Amino acid sequence: MELWYTHLLREKLDQDSLLVQGNRASALGALDAGVRFFAGYPITPSSEIMETMARELPKVGGVFLQMEDEIASICACIGGSLTGEISMTATSGPGFSLMQEAIGYAIMAEAPLVIVNVMRVGPSTGRPTAPSQGDVMQARWGTHGDHPAIVLAASNVVDMYRLTMAAVRFAQRFRTPVTLLADEVVGHMRESFSAEKAGRYRLSSGDFDFTENYSRPDLVREVHPPHQLGAFRHPHVTGLVHDETGFPTNDPQKSAEFLRELHDKVAHHRDELCLYDVKNEGRGRVCIVAYGSCARSARAAMDLAQHEGIPVEVLHLYTLFPLPVEILQRVARRVEFMLIPELNLGQYAREVRKMAEQWTTVISMGKIDGTLITPRELVDRVSDLVGKYENV
Amino acid sequence: MAQASATAGRLGSRRFVETRLGGSGGQGVILMGVILAVAAARDHRHVVQTQSYGPEARGGYSRADVIIANEQIDYPQLQGADLLVTLSDQAAKHYIGGLRRTGVFLYDSDEVSPPTVLAETYAVPLIRLAQEITGRSQSANILTLGAIVALTELVTRPSLERAVAEMVPKASLDLNLRAMEAGLALKPEEWRVV
Repeated sequence: MELWYTHLLREKLDQDSLLVQGNRASALGALDAGVRFFAGYPITPSSEIMETMARELPKVGGVFLQMEDEIASICACIGGSLTGEISMTATSGPGFSLMQEAIGYAIMAEAPLVIVNVMRVGPSTGRPTAPSQGDVMQARWGTHGDHPAIVLAASNVVDMYRLTMAAVRFAQRFRTPVTLLADEVVGHMRESFSAEKAGRYRLSSGDFDFTENYSRPDLVREVHPPHQLGAFRHPHVTGLVHDETGFPTNDPQKSAEFLRELHDKVAHHRDELCLYDVKNEGRGRVCIVAYGSCARSARAAMDLAQHEGIPVEVLHLYTLFPLPVEILQRVARRVEFMLIPELNLGQYAREVRKMAEQWTTVISMGKIDGTLITPRELVDRVSDLVGKYENV
Repeated sequence: MAQASATAGRLGSRRFVETRLGGSGGQGVILMGVILAVAAARDHRHVVQTQSYGPEARGGYSRADVIIANEQIDYPQLQGADLLVTLSDQAAKHYIGGLRRTGVFLYDSDEVSPPTVLAETYAVPLIRLAQEITGRSQSANILTLGAIVALTELVTRPSLERAVAEMVPKASLDLNLRAMEAGLALKPEEWRVV
């Protein structure tokens, strides 16, 4: 019987010290979660995920394919997924753009797969080695049509490991593509963490544990059964709206039902999908809402501000979509300002504003120069807000 | 031992130390950063290691940053350097601004034109020493790691040795261990710039 973190374990230096690169941790998380098919095309700053998979997958009987481009990569992953293998690919902005059409196909065909997007400054080829969070709304709405999306965001190396595992679990359970967003800093940094603790998240949204089977109430009635190639039922896979036989239908009622079900299987399980952590709960007039690298700036800013006599609350989001409506509204009701630092010009702040503006003032703090937002910059902004409030 | 001065000798026992290693492309500063980070992880400390990539690394200078702490590290990048080590003049000029006034500066005395800083400064002909001792100037990065530990005890000596053994190619292990020993044997007080 293999330990659940068997691939991670090989990285161990000794009893409990590990030093792993973010991209490598994502690949190890995928292997430990059972991913056995990877097709990709190398792109900075995500290439180490692919390199690790190329080296490790053959050792565990998996299949690794380097494709001619990102369109072929995700299409191969859909194929892998339809054969029952857990499939994954990794890319950055330019590749993610090429994948969009096929992501829609995977949603429609209900092919579970994981896409890791290590974000760099865009648009186009942008700045390959500079971090960004510019693909947040693309991860939500990049493919056409009205569709659900599950999008996670990693802020450190251990996140890269366990959120990749979470992405695999969610993809399998909801039979849909799951996107894990990281950025250049998280992907390339090396960081120490404990292997034994790596599979557990103790979060405000509830503990999330990979060390046992991820067993949850059955979704049989909400999620359509998998395609079984080679078996008798549903041999037909299509991007067209289809009925339970797998063949296209133009029946308005069946069509609407099918699309509604695609949404509902995600929307009805926000409680399970939305991972978040609240620090300094109810202690400040300002709450910093952050994800990815910015969440690390936010946590450091929280301590720095505390030191300077300004209590600040931090809401760290690990799940961006489905939108964690309940926690955003709960926080909005108790704070005067929600400050959203992002390495873009306020993509997620707009989402938060929609949910929260009737209770609080939502302020976007965007940075697009390819550097992280420093704790000092955040604290200065917070002081500014609190000062303004006191002068009113 | 390495208690040459209050500041340098105390770095190893601080709860939070930010280190920047700078040099020109090909001097092995990235590997130096990774080895330092691995050694600190072996010491059961919290570590984050980042580095410059791409055009910056291919130009005149590259850097590796290592944060070593007793608690979880939130912000992953350097907010100021407690220890700056540079093997090239261009890197020294580029990164000197980030060095804290209370920090420690170690540089290659043949390569770097002496800067005016308030930080405690040590000048060692690191590359020349590596060439003399191992016959290979490329081992200067490993010799420098030894010098850093002699100066600061930032990581323990056994951890450094294990990290070097893990990270350098087997064929050049002996050579690199000799370079490391030479660095560890340096007497910081002899190299202090006053």
